[in-house]
Amino acid sequence: MAEYCTEEKVAFNGKRVEILGPTFEEGKPGTPMNWRNKLRNREEMLAYLKTGERYWFNDEWFGSEKRKTKA
Amino acid sequence: MSDIEKKSIDPATVKMLKKAQADGCETIFDRADAMKPCPIGAEGSCCKTCVMGPCRVPAPKKKGEEKSRRVGLCGATAETISARNFARMVAAGTAAHSDHARGVTEVFLATAKGKIPGFQIKDEQKLLQLAMDLGVEIGNRSVQEIAIDVGQKALSEFGRQEGEILLAKRAPLKRQEIWRNLGIMPRGIDREVVELLHRTCMGVDQEYKSLLHSAARCALADGWGGSMISTELQDVLFGTPVPVYGKMNLGVLKKDEVNLVIHGHEPLLPEIIVGVLQDPEIQKAARSVGAKGINLTGMCCSANEVLMRHGIPVGGNFLQQELAIVTGVVDAMVVDVQCEMQSLAQVAKCYHTKLITTSPRAKIEGAMHIEFDEHRAPDVAKKILMEAIENFKNRKPNADIPSETTDTVVGFSHETINYLLGGMFRASYRPLNDNIINGRIRGIAGVVGCNNARVTHDDPNFTLIKELIKNDVIVLVTGCSAMAAGKGGLLTPEAARQYAGEGLASVCEAVGIPPVLHMGACVDNSRILMAATAVVKDGGLGDDISDLPAAGAALEWMSEKALAIGHYFVASGIFTVFGVTWPTTGSEEVTKFLFEEFENSLKGKWGFEPDPMKAAKLMIEHIDKKRKALGIDKARERVLFDMAKRRELDAA
Repeated sequence: MAEYCTEEKVAFNGKRVEILGPTFEEGKPGTPMNWRNKLRNREEMLAYLKTGERYWFNDEWFGSEKRKTKA
Repeated sequence: MSDIEKKSIDPATVKMLKKAQADGCETIFDRADAMKPCPIGAEGSCCKTCVMGPCRVPAPKKKGEEKSRRVGLCGATAETISARNFARMVAAGTAAHSDHARGVTEVFLATAKGKIPGFQIKDEQKLLQLAMDLGVEIGNRSVQEIAIDVGQKALSEFGRQEGEILLAKRAPLKRQEIWRNLGIMPRGIDREVVELLHRTCMGVDQEYKSLLHSAARCALADGWGGSMISTELQDVLFGTPVPVYGKMNLGVLKKDEVNLVIHGHEPLLPEIIVGVLQDPEIQKAARSVGAKGINLTGMCCSANEVLMRHGIPVGGNFLQQELAIVTGVVDAMVVDVQCEMQSLAQVAKCYHTKLITTSPRAKIEGAMHIEFDEHRAPDVAKKILMEAIENFKNRKPNADIPSETTDTVVGFSHETINYLLGGMFRASYRPLNDNIINGRIRGIAGVVGCNNARVTHDDPNFTLIKELIKNDVIVLVTGCSAMAAGKGGLLTPEAARQYAGEGLASVCEAVGIPPVLHMGACVDNSRILMAATAVVKDGGLGDDISDLPAAGAALEWMSEKALAIGHYFVASGIFTVFGVTWPTTGSEEVTKFLFEEFENSLKGKWGFEPDPMKAAKLMIEHIDKKRKALGIDKARERVLFDMAKRRELDAA
């Protein structure tokens, strides 16, 4: 991996600071980013539905639709 | 600049148009010059629902002219005729998406029952997701048992006669309430299409508001019914899209390989072709005719499907289908349904290309027909590949492939966006909502739809998308507009820094995503509905899709499917701008109802603006209006509340 590059930016106090620049590697992806393979069994799949896809699949989800005062 | 150079902003397209002219091959671009649209039909003022007509009731040329004189033989007013024509287009578009979905559902069910070779359930998690939505028991049941029930439930959605379509309950609660209060919650998919066609028959529904609300009900049966079922079941069968690298434009065709172009909309046969491509027998056959291999290329929405699941390169969008053949290196083009021009048969005759139809629902005179039978799908795929291989030797010497190709990263299903924003343990739309609230991202736009030979190819879509991201609006794309963005270089993470405003670019760079997210084919606009719903449900941006700082557009639309999509966007609460032409301009009242009054009931409305810069302005103004209504239009000082201040809040 190439050495990290840095960028100079202005901090909130007006001082110029050196910060870490982009850390991605050059090149093109050879394979799809198959994140769904991380779900190894049915238990994990159902658990992910309750957490990751909680908007539809978690009874306890406290989103915009269950607020006390309507928007 | 020559006339040909004004036809498209894509250099590959212009090169092939010049080649077609030199080869004496007529294309859609030539026909668009030779034949102008019928002005009465274009404004929706021609009624041919009975044979006493066709009756023409064009808009009065002079202001103040008697409106009462503008009626058909039966007395149908310009308003009724205009609304009927609009509704019939919506019904046709809904029918197209939904018949596609029915085909997918039947294959899905047969797969679940183990009746067809070559297909399998690839995404168990998505199956479970759908099972929960459709009320199918999961427990310890096998994938096969669950899939059979899911398939049967999905199939029954088409013929449902009463109640509500099951996937509509995915919409925000407030949106569902709006539909119920207006009496437009769809019952069954087929029922809504049939009822709308009945209403538009001679002497039935003759009140334009009633017709247009009924059209909304039908369109919702598409967006939250047919299209959504199609997307979901295709994901279960072939995998939910994840980020994948791919190339776009005619330069992906290869001179020294057998080129097979897959064109159309249904991913069923293309998936099988992808699977049998590596068959040693097929590869050997290709080498035996002097080719180095077989190059599979997509066209139109079939292209989007195989691109986002396999990284198969895309040849081009709707207006490039003839031009792929004009290169002279397409050995076979295989088509299924929707957006396939009949002229392909004539263009294929100018070169050596074999045009192969595969759907029993879509035959083309002059084309070879090899019917897709899911029960022997691998054999059908091999037969098609062999036709292409055998035709390799028949290439003519005037082959010329443009060099243009562009890198893209595609495959942003709403599930993938959720994952990318938070990871496996914190998957969430929260970062998106936070960045909309803090103003780094100004809003969300869905830019979808076709190409249209009446405007410069790709220009309206590309210009609009570029302007939106420049103004920090993140753009979700599908269909042919996605390819316009891709060919223009907007579908890579690097495009964020190059084209997007500073706020949007900073978010895209932090997450590692392009500023324009490719969400799939035109049936996959249902993914945009789901992403919008997730944003609503995550909180902080209102209770309904209509509260979001969001807008939609299809500036190069041409198909009835696009009108159905636009109408379900509007009926879901989204301000949607169309370009090129507007089909109700024959009636000022109908147009005003769609453009203004619809917002009072459905909270969404239509807009028309062919100029992409002006369309961007309209969309951004709407986004800003919604930001103001949410109280996020101005930066607010962040105040740390101590306990005393919190108690004051509670007391209030």
